[in-house]
Amino acid sequence: MDENEFAKIYGEYLRDESRQVGNAESIVFPKSEAEIISSVKEMFEKNIQITTQGARTGLAASAVPHNGHIINLSKMNKVTGARYDEKADRFFLTVQPGVLLSELRKYLANKSFIVHEWDDKSINAINYMEKAQWFYSTDPTETSASMGGIASCNASGAKSYRYGSARDHITGLRIVLADGDVLSIKRGQFIADDNIFSLITESGRVIKGKLPKYKMPYVKKNTSGYFNMLGMDMIDLFIGSDGTLGIISEIEIELNKTQEVRWGVTIFMPDEDSAVDLVRALRHEIIIDNIDLQLNPSAIEFFSHNALNMLKNQQATNSAFSNIQEFKDSYHTAVYIEIESDSNDEVWAEIEKLGDIINALSGDEDNTWVAYNTINLEKLHDFRHACPECVNMQIDSIKKTDNRITKLGTDMSVPDNKLKDAMKMYNEGIEENNLNAVIFGHIGNNHLHVNIIPQNMDEYEKGKELFLIWAEKVAAMGGAVSAEHGVGKLKVPFLKKMYNKEEINEMRKLKKIFDSAQILNRGTIFEFEEDEK
Amino acid sequence: MASINIIKNKCIGCKRCIGACPFGAIEIVDKVAVIKENCTLCGSCVEVCKFNAINFERDKIESVDLSKYKGIWVFAEQRYGKLKSVSLELLGKAKELSDVLKTKVTAILLGHRVNELCHELIAYGADEVLLMDEEWLNDFNDHIYGEVIIDLVNKYKPEIVLVGATSKGRSLSPHISSTLKTGLTADCTGLNIDKESKLLVQTRPAFGGNLMAEIICPNNRPQMATVRPKVFKPLKPDYNRKGKITKIHKPPVEGFVKLIRNIDNSEGLSLSDAEIIVSVGRGIGSAKNIQLAKELADELGGVLGSSRPVVDIGWMPYSQQVGQTGKTVAPKVYIACGISGAIQHLAGLADIETIIAINADSEAPIFKVANYGIVGDVNEILPLLIKNIKEAKITIDKSYIEHINTYP
Amino acid sequence: MKIIICIKQVPGTNEVKMDPITNTIIRENVEAIINPFDLYAIEEAVRIKEKTGSFVYGLSMGIPDATEMLREAISLRVDKGILMTDRKFAGADTLATSYALSKGIEKIGEYDLIICGKQATDGDTAQVGPSLANTLGIAYATDISKILEIKHNKMSCLKITDDGYEEISVLLPALITVVKEINMPRLPSIKSMKTAKKAEIEIVTFEEINADENRAGLKGSPTQVRKTFVPVHNVNNEMIEGTSEEKAQKLSEILLNLRTDVN
Repeated sequence: MDENEFAKIYGEYLRDESRQVGNAESIVFPKSEAEIISSVKEMFEKNIQITTQGARTGLAASAVPHNGHIINLSKMNKVTGARYDEKADRFFLTVQPGVLLSELRKYLANKSFIVHEWDDKSINAINYMEKAQWFYSTDPTETSASMGGIASCNASGAKSYRYGSARDHITGLRIVLADGDVLSIKRGQFIADDNIFSLITESGRVIKGKLPKYKMPYVKKNTSGYFNMLGMDMIDLFIGSDGTLGIISEIEIELNKTQEVRWGVTIFMPDEDSAVDLVRALRHEIIIDNIDLQLNPSAIEFFSHNALNMLKNQQATNSAFSNIQEFKDSYHTAVYIEIESDSNDEVWAEIEKLGDIINALSGDEDNTWVAYNTINLEKLHDFRHACPECVNMQIDSIKKTDNRITKLGTDMSVPDNKLKDAMKMYNEGIEENNLNAVIFGHIGNNHLHVNIIPQNMDEYEKGKELFLIWAEKVAAMGGAVSAEHGVGKLKVPFLKKMYNKEEINEMRKLKKIFDSAQILNRGTIFEFEEDEK
Repeated sequence: MASINIIKNKCIGCKRCIGACPFGAIEIVDKVAVIKENCTLCGSCVEVCKFNAINFERDKIESVDLSKYKGIWVFAEQRYGKLKSVSLELLGKAKELSDVLKTKVTAILLGHRVNELCHELIAYGADEVLLMDEEWLNDFNDHIYGEVIIDLVNKYKPEIVLVGATSKGRSLSPHISSTLKTGLTADCTGLNIDKESKLLVQTRPAFGGNLMAEIICPNNRPQMATVRPKVFKPLKPDYNRKGKITKIHKPPVEGFVKLIRNIDNSEGLSLSDAEIIVSVGRGIGSAKNIQLAKELADELGGVLGSSRPVVDIGWMPYSQQVGQTGKTVAPKVYIACGISGAIQHLAGLADIETIIAINADSEAPIFKVANYGIVGDVNEILPLLIKNIKEAKITIDKSYIEHINTYP
Repeated sequence: MKIIICIKQVPGTNEVKMDPITNTIIRENVEAIINPFDLYAIEEAVRIKEKTGSFVYGLSMGIPDATEMLREAISLRVDKGILMTDRKFAGADTLATSYALSKGIEKIGEYDLIICGKQATDGDTAQVGPSLANTLGIAYATDISKILEIKHNKMSCLKITDDGYEEISVLLPALITVVKEINMPRLPSIKSMKTAKKAEIEIVTFEEINADENRAGLKGSPTQVRKTFVPVHNVNNEMIEGTSEEKAQKLSEILLNLRTDVN
């Protein structure tokens, strides 16, 4: 189909949440792995590029096509099986890539699945669900994200502080390769021997190669380029590969047991330094007043002073925010923690100690909000979500004056010992450039979202420049330029700050082992370079 | 065993009671009044105490002669000369009940310059109107109106008193019932007379409508009930009907609350009166999408409503809330957009002829009560729906369009 | 100032069971919470306390376990919790409840203001507030959405009505019932929870309040529940199928037909 015609009918499939718009000539919505294979084979023959799409909720434009064919997996939306390891008390689900996170959560919450196509073993496994409540711990904020997308960009959310990111809960993948062959990998099945790896596809073909030499940053949250480690489990190469190595047709995920007791505490500290010290105390990095804090939060979140001011201003004028908790003028910076446990008494004992620590850090344990039931936890969640919503609303209204302006938010993480340096860097950069910005996010993993709210095109450009400068500095600190959104197409320049030309070439070479004609998700993670003839 | 005592924290030591006591049996001790042993329980002090600081319990009449209580009363709520429709609805119901009990229906009308309303009340089913037209009754005051009605009840002894469950009615009726120490059942959805006992059987929802209860008040009179607007239908008014109007005069009663000023809502078609309502729930997604629902409402000549969660978030004002803690509505057509159908919301939907539900969740409880349901994204369906209606209207003849435009 | 809040413990969910013999609600096995409207009453009292340094009592009539709920009230910054608990209070309708509470309040002694939530989510009658005020012989005003000023023995406030708002002046001591518009209840803090853990909840029995047995509990309740039943909804349901366009088309036809019927 001609590109313009295609755009008329399938316009929405040329975009994702990054607000970038691409172009394409054809699209298919396979309902099975076999249909994926036949479409891929066809494109491989014709040497036409393929862009893979899940739910198109990504922020880095991985799903935005730049010419060619689209394979959209939204119709492969079934949970196809379950597995329970009774000895180890571990629960697994097999899902198709188009299953949405929100749908998965619903199935799990109701303990009810559509099982008429399941085998007996899977149906039996569900019976074990009666004994406990299980949940899927990877929690990106956008719940309409697809499981395939989550696996492709190694997604994570607030709870990754305790539970880790997507790769920590993926135990199996089926991948359709660029030539139509299929690779089925289970965790533990293909381990690299130092830097040499060897995989066998379903057709019996052996894929061998050498791992790149670059070292990944020593941070918990990282989706910047290919996972790479000597002696690695090869399944990890495909998780976070942004659709460049193959098309995921099936994922096996591992679930966690829900702990019934859930608390949330929002703590308002008098300044940023004491807030960061509180975070370090929560992480057991420092001991305050000899208090032995045994709290193990699932998430540690942060709201800068500017973020709180923004909320306060919006609360006064915008009825959409009138329902979030009111907070005092003296509240300067906020830290939010969430705790999951089996015992209310145990949690309270730790919270009491936390109160003492807050007082010792020149805060006041009265400047806190404690929630220990669902209704109040919801209120704290609403408060937390109000920040990004607020930013979005302001951008939406500025967009009316200049359509080119979009949200500018960072997604970088640094090692624990660089947290204060990173924050200093952000604050100085914002101040020097006189920009309107708020900082909030997953401070537990040193992963803060700096959101610049440009008032005009000038500020927008300044912001983008600043991000590039920061990317370089973050890389120098040993951090990751993309912590949870993935590199996609948008952050290709950032990745170049983290890895040099040779290292990026290593990634290219690695991709070509799996996709020699480079037809999958071209331009994602790194720029496309023609092969030298 | 009768008893009398001073409620110390009510007594301000004004000594009015001392002046009224024929036996000199009251004195001030430590700034408050104290009743001495020579008190004869005549009760003269009680009547003059302006602060209800004297608690006087008469002997309990063991065999309460309930047969003295006859007649059904309806409190005719009016506001500055305009009758509330719920009072007319209750008159209709009262007429029905009175036929079974073979008794009369009396409307109680309090206010200032409300004489003309009597005919309206009679036309809608009142056999008699007890009218108090006084300047000091111009503004509604729950305590003052309550005291007046208590006096009238004590004098005329009705067996049943019905009050509309408006905000005023719900404040007024417990004042009356607690003074008369009788039973009051709130928000009744059904009223019937039990054939054998002749008791008023009051049906009402509890636990957010999950449970219905039948309440009776066997040993106390009058049996009191409040009923929400639009639960019952009024009779067709018969302006040729005859009835008795009894004008009553009483000296002013003092209250504890003063009205400083009214701050009325701006004019506009109210939710309670609307025939067509387009209502939004959380499924509408965001404040700005509510515009779509408003457009649909405008196209259909209806009014915009909202479920509670949307009001709680702040996307709609409380005055537009439909449901148990909002307004009860009785339109002919109710279109629920993105409303899940929580029981508290459904409690606000009294007997609606046609309920239409649009919701992305096929399991949403609203579909159980909807006559027509669409499973789909509200924000996708609404624009298409509006487009279709706009196009279809073009083909309807002019006179119909004129009719739509003049529809209030 | 001395403020008394009447707090009711209600089931956290509205799924219910009834005792078929006494026709009253079986209260076990359901999570119990503070009646949501009462949270607004507590918050308003705390705000007055912060401005004027008042003392705030939380008074409740309920089962013995309700002490935990009063402890929660203290974590919301109520100064003292009092629980009236006795088998003789059981089965009370709104009149008997108002009577019992009035005796409990008498025992507390002097006060300036009683604040109640507009209604309780289990009974939904909104009757106790006015009945209690009347039993105590004090002024009352319902549906208060804002307290404007408290001066000497008068309080001016805004009241929500069906037609809008009224600005009223109320003579103290008085009782007001409050609506959700009045404030945003705050959550407990670590500090207020520490205070609550140590707090002693005062227990008051029937004997201690000089109550008349004939006016409290089931005996003092003029209304009786004769029967309860779960309502059944009989509806003709039709699901409209098709693509979004088809669904919208069919619905618009239905609506336009209904529109003519309305006239």
